[in-house]
Amino acid sequence: MPFDLTVLLPHLDALLAGALLTAEVCALGILGAFALGTGLGTAATAGGWPGRLARLYVDVFRNVPFVVQVFFLYYGLPEVGVYIDAFWTGALALTLVGGAYASDVVRSGVLAVEPGVVEAARVSGLTRLDVFRRIVLPIALRTAIQPLGSIFVNMVLSSSILSMITLDEVTGMAKGVAAQTYRPFEVYAFLLVAYAGLTYAVSLGIGALHRHLNRHMVAGGGGRA
Amino acid sequence: MIAVEGVVKRFGAQAVLNGVSLTVAPGEVVTILGSSGSGKSTLIRCINGLERLDGGRITVDGLDVANPRQLAQARRLSATVFQLFNLYPHMTVLRNVTLAPEVVLKRPGAEVEAEARALLASVGLADRADAYPAQLSGGQRQRVGICRALAMNPRYLLLDEVTSALDPEMTAEVLAILGRLVSAGTTMVFVTHEVEFARRISTRIVFLDHGRLIVDLPTDQFFADAGGMAHPRIKQFLSKMTPVGGQS
Ligand SMILES: Nc1ncnc2c1ncn2[C@@H]1O[C@H](COP(=O)(O)OP(=O)(O)OP(=O)(O)O)[C@@H](O)[C@H]1O
Ligand SMILES: [Mg+2]
Repeated sequence: MPFDLTVLLPHLDALLAGALLTAEVCALGILGAFALGTGLGTAATAGGWPGRLARLYVDVFRNVPFVVQVFFLYYGLPEVGVYIDAFWTGALALTLVGGAYASDVVRSGVLAVEPGVVEAARVSGLTRLDVFRRIVLPIALRTAIQPLGSIFVNMVLSSSILSMITLDEVTGMAKGVAAQTYRPFEVYAFLLVAYAGLTYAVSLGIGALHRHLNRHMVAGGGGRA
Repeated sequence: MIAVEGVVKRFGAQAVLNGVSLTVAPGEVVTILGSSGSGKSTLIRCINGLERLDGGRITVDGLDVANPRQLAQARRLSATVFQLFNLYPHMTVLRNVTLAPEVVLKRPGAEVEAEARALLASVGLADRADAYPAQLSGGQRQRVGICRALAMNPRYLLLDEVTSALDPEMTAEVLAILGRLVSAGTTMVFVTHEVEFARRISTRIVFLDHGRLIVDLPTDQFFADAGGMAHPRIKQFLSKMTPVGGQS
């Protein structure tokens, strides 16, 4: 059988719908992971029980297979009366695991902020909250944004198992189409391209954000050096 | 008045400040001299509340810096200029200067901005208001650091070796600005290795030696043979600091 992409045409709608669903669930997961990671990463730099709790969370979620977390949320939680549909389970699972990885990156970013800069802010009379909100976090995120990008890319890749909880994301759709058409080569070629496109879009977005946020942070960045 | 009373500060077993007492009254310029490691920076950091005291007391206009609520008040009365500038790298020069007056003093933005621009103009940085710290030279950065401190209208200006990261030309720029502030009556606690400059601007000079304040004298007496120079430690210190052939 020669390579013939036209066999996909009748199924293109389904495949694109799957890709769109993947994009949606990942976008939500990325936003969630960013928020959760920022909170956890900050807490992890604190002493006392908030720090310990945040570090424990990170350890737990990084050391359990993603698919097990997904099954737990989707098949386990209903046993205790918590029902979440497949889409939101996917977004939540991506948030929880992505947040754990993002937390580590944000934590390093916070720790890398120049102590003297923080001291200048404290001495100027800013409250602890203002020092954090206005100085520490914005600087930390500027260092963190690039490594966060690779975490987000990995989340897109991880989302491919969400068809195991009946979510019609692109991998699930592709499997279905391949079974129907007996053209796995074309179908999975499409899938390869779809993931490459999605992750490339994430990388591009993060790269642009990184350059934008850091455009003034190094000598020679646009002005007189 | 800044009152430092019997202050002890330890790092581990080492007493970095060992019973230091000092007062700075409004209008005074008090220079702290002492060799490296004698505790000068630590003393400044105790006054602005960056270090916890292990003994003694520091008050700024009666506010005890060991008390968090009073420290918050005290920090509105003094401002610090740092050796390595410590500007906020993600903010423009203007924002570096306006941040604390707006957020801490809750003053109206337009008024604060106008004042900040005037301050920047007074140090020759009117056209750099929208630049970022990374785009400035060291001397320019330190001038921003000074504006940032002055924007709070502080009663007390704390300066810790504010020129030691600068080359001679930039040092001269910054010292000229400090000289103008002194003429305007700004109260300062001044840590420096610029002995000649200190001699010109200071009302008093104190000398720290291994965490003890061994001399606290009006400037002319500090440099007199029967005053500070009678101390072997100080004589030795000044002979190292003052260029050969310079006045001493
Ligand atoms: N955070 C710290 N932890 C441990 N030791 C410290 C700390 N800060 C300062 N020290 C020690 O305290 C002593 C005094 O330091 P300080 O920075 O106050 O000296 P200094 O007089 O400002 O010196 P220099 O002229 O080199 O700036 C030094 O021996 C220093 O190693
Ligand atoms: Mg020092």
